[in-house]
Amino acid sequence: MDTPTASLEAAQKGAPSQPAPPVLSVQGLARRFGAIQALSDVSLDLRSGEIRAILGENGAGKSTLVKILTGIHMADAGEIQIDGAPVRPANPREAQDLGINLVSQELSVCRGLSVFDNILLGLSDLPMFHRRPELRRRARAALDSIGAGHIPLDKSAEDLSTGERQLIEIARMMSRDTLVLILDEPTATLSDGEIASIMSALRKLRANGCAILYITHRLGEVFDVCDTATIMRNGAVVSDGPVAELDKSQLIELMLGRSLGDMYPAHELKGGRPLLQVTGLQIPNRTEAVSFSVPRGQIVCLTGQLGSGAEDVVRSLCGLVSDASGTISVDDQVLPLGRPEKALAAGIRFVSGDRAEEGIFVQEPVWSNLVATRLRRRSQAGWLNLYRLRKEARGLAAHVGVDLSRMATRACDLSGGNQQKLAFGRWVDDHGGKVIAMIEPTRGIDVGARAEIYALMRRFCEQGYGLVIASTDFTEVLGLGDVVVTMFRGRVINSYNADAIDMPRLIADVTHPEAA
Amino acid sequence: MSTLLLSRRLPVAADRMATAIRIAAIGCLVLFAVTTPGFLSAPAIRSFLTTMSFVGCVAVGMSFITIGGSLMSFSLGVGLSATTIVFVAALPLGLWPAAGLAILFSCLLNGVQGLVIGYLRANPIIVTMASFALITGIATQITAGRGIYAFGTETAAFKGNLGPVPLPLAVFLGVVVTGQAILGHTRIGRQIILTGSNPRSVLAAGIEPWRPITWSFVLAGFFTAFAAILMAARYGSGDLQHGIGMEYHAISAVLVGGTAIHGGSGSILRTFFGTLIIAVFQAVLVLRGFSTELQHLALGVLVLLVIILQRK
Repeated sequence: MDTPTASLEAAQKGAPSQPAPPVLSVQGLARRFGAIQALSDVSLDLRSGEIRAILGENGAGKSTLVKILTGIHMADAGEIQIDGAPVRPANPREAQDLGINLVSQELSVCRGLSVFDNILLGLSDLPMFHRRPELRRRARAALDSIGAGHIPLDKSAEDLSTGERQLIEIARMMSRDTLVLILDEPTATLSDGEIASIMSALRKLRANGCAILYITHRLGEVFDVCDTATIMRNGAVVSDGPVAELDKSQLIELMLGRSLGDMYPAHELKGGRPLLQVTGLQIPNRTEAVSFSVPRGQIVCLTGQLGSGAEDVVRSLCGLVSDASGTISVDDQVLPLGRPEKALAAGIRFVSGDRAEEGIFVQEPVWSNLVATRLRRRSQAGWLNLYRLRKEARGLAAHVGVDLSRMATRACDLSGGNQQKLAFGRWVDDHGGKVIAMIEPTRGIDVGARAEIYALMRRFCEQGYGLVIASTDFTEVLGLGDVVVTMFRGRVINSYNADAIDMPRLIADVTHPEAA
Repeated sequence: MSTLLLSRRLPVAADRMATAIRIAAIGCLVLFAVTTPGFLSAPAIRSFLTTMSFVGCVAVGMSFITIGGSLMSFSLGVGLSATTIVFVAALPLGLWPAAGLAILFSCLLNGVQGLVIGYLRANPIIVTMASFALITGIATQITAGRGIYAFGTETAAFKGNLGPVPLPLAVFLGVVVTGQAILGHTRIGRQIILTGSNPRSVLAAGIEPWRPITWSFVLAGFFTAFAAILMAARYGSGDLQHGIGMEYHAISAVLVGGTAIHGGSGSILRTFFGTLIIAVFQAVLVLRGFSTELQHLALGVLVLLVIILQRK
């Protein structure tokens, strides 16, 4: 296991002063999509045994760069070299043959298959009649190479945790002849405990001489494992150098082109009467006897590792869990469980963390997304007043900070941050709204948009809403929560006021609560 | 060190290309049609517009199902047949009551299927296929496999012309306008679009998806009933044969019009143009003396081509 000092040494080893030629060299890459210059003159070098962070806000051009390297898009101009030879991958298969492999944000592990089958999935040199023992050795070696030797080959992928699935995906790439490994936000959906195992896998790969491009929104990881960083803004490289020469605030400034100010807005704490009261909430195989309350004007964060039950609690508040039992009351009115319509009528508003799946309507235009929940109120005898709806949508967009010129843009063409603003925008000035329940409010959202979302959340508090948030991002929980409720395996461990909890306490609670 | 300049066609160009292909294809079809001997004669145009209107009403109904995310209904054709039987059987009550009854029957018949699909989250393909068999079975039992006939002139009001326009065409145009208004300008219409776009988001937004899904089937039944009444009036009979293959023609028109099969986007206007394109295509094939087999083949190729062209 590497220590931070060891990774620093590796940083120096991989520094540009080394004479070894880069494994991957990109010069002057450019790509245009319609009117948008997605990439312009992007250059970087990646050497063997180097982990290079690619950083930037959403829309900075990171994904376009990755798509060109992996053959999904072609560049308009520029050159890619592998080991000094110019290459031009025209599709993902060609990129794989060149040794460029991608572990993408969305997991592509097949749940029905075993670990072994999943590792060999998509292997291009797999002969039709193959020798199984040899392949098993190869899969084993791939797992060992990332320090995941404890995962049995015959286990079904269904029984693995999300973090283990992510490891399987990395192992899959290592079973191929990988020269350059690209990881696109591999930790976006992982809890902190699982992230540690990914980090140690990366360190092992670096020690074996693998060259890694690492895309992440979690800046802590950059300082943890990365040697060098390429920072992008508006499709161009704004900074390129060793991580050791940067600190966190410099890094954020480079990404945003401005200083961030305070990420978490300062606010006066209003000690309100309990608005939402949850008593003995029980979901079979998920949670046991969860109780907490949400005061008016405050943010309550439920936190734990993935599977702690925090997410299930929030879902059941919104009527989305059919087999929940217990008492949920809003303003002393008891709510029937498992009925989304009733939860809505009682004033509970849901903002999902899975934006594309159950948050927004990706094919629908911005205005339609903003007013999706107002159709009933803005219709007479079933007929909609489209003029008023569009006008209302413009007002909401202005309120949450979505560009007014993009009202007709389809939601899928917006960045993650803007999509989340749409999900929020629905509940602005919403008569009868009392509680906003959220899951992972900033998952996959870059640091600039994140601050805007947090400010928006505080604005809701000032209007008298109470907010309940399930989050596995502990930094966010500590920065944002007025009340932090820690959970472990479906149970509430502790409940703290903001000033009574720090990171060590929180980690202790959500990992080994018995010892704490 | 050699440099490799990378360049490739822009996506915008690809978009223009697709539009150009579409315009070219429609141009070809028009040219093909007007050069076909007999196509521009009044009787040919009248018969072609009338047949088109029957399929068109069903296609408008089908659009709601497709846009609402339930792919398609296999029972829309047989439902139409059953509705013609109900209409003719109810004629002794008077023409307008019979029409009202037929519409009600068709809405209920399809609405129940929608309720099963929406409420039980059943697969629409399976439910509508089972309904197809069920309706065929029950209707055959009741009518002993024969059609029932309307003697006399009680359906005369539903035949003929409305001014210079064949009545079926006038009804079809009305159906298109009404359908488009419902889809675009009513709460239920927007909810159908949103449900087709993403049922889980709809639920999270506090709309229970079974309502819009059921409504999409009720509307499908509603518009199909117009085709049923017009057909029964024209042929003077209620018969299980009337709707055979209708769902296939309807879904073809929906897809050729450019409505996405997975739901969430599309419009009734598109379905109108889809119906028109298919009708012209078929009329041309008939007038040029292609055999029925070749007509089927050509229609299949047309639908496939359109879907390939729409692929992004």
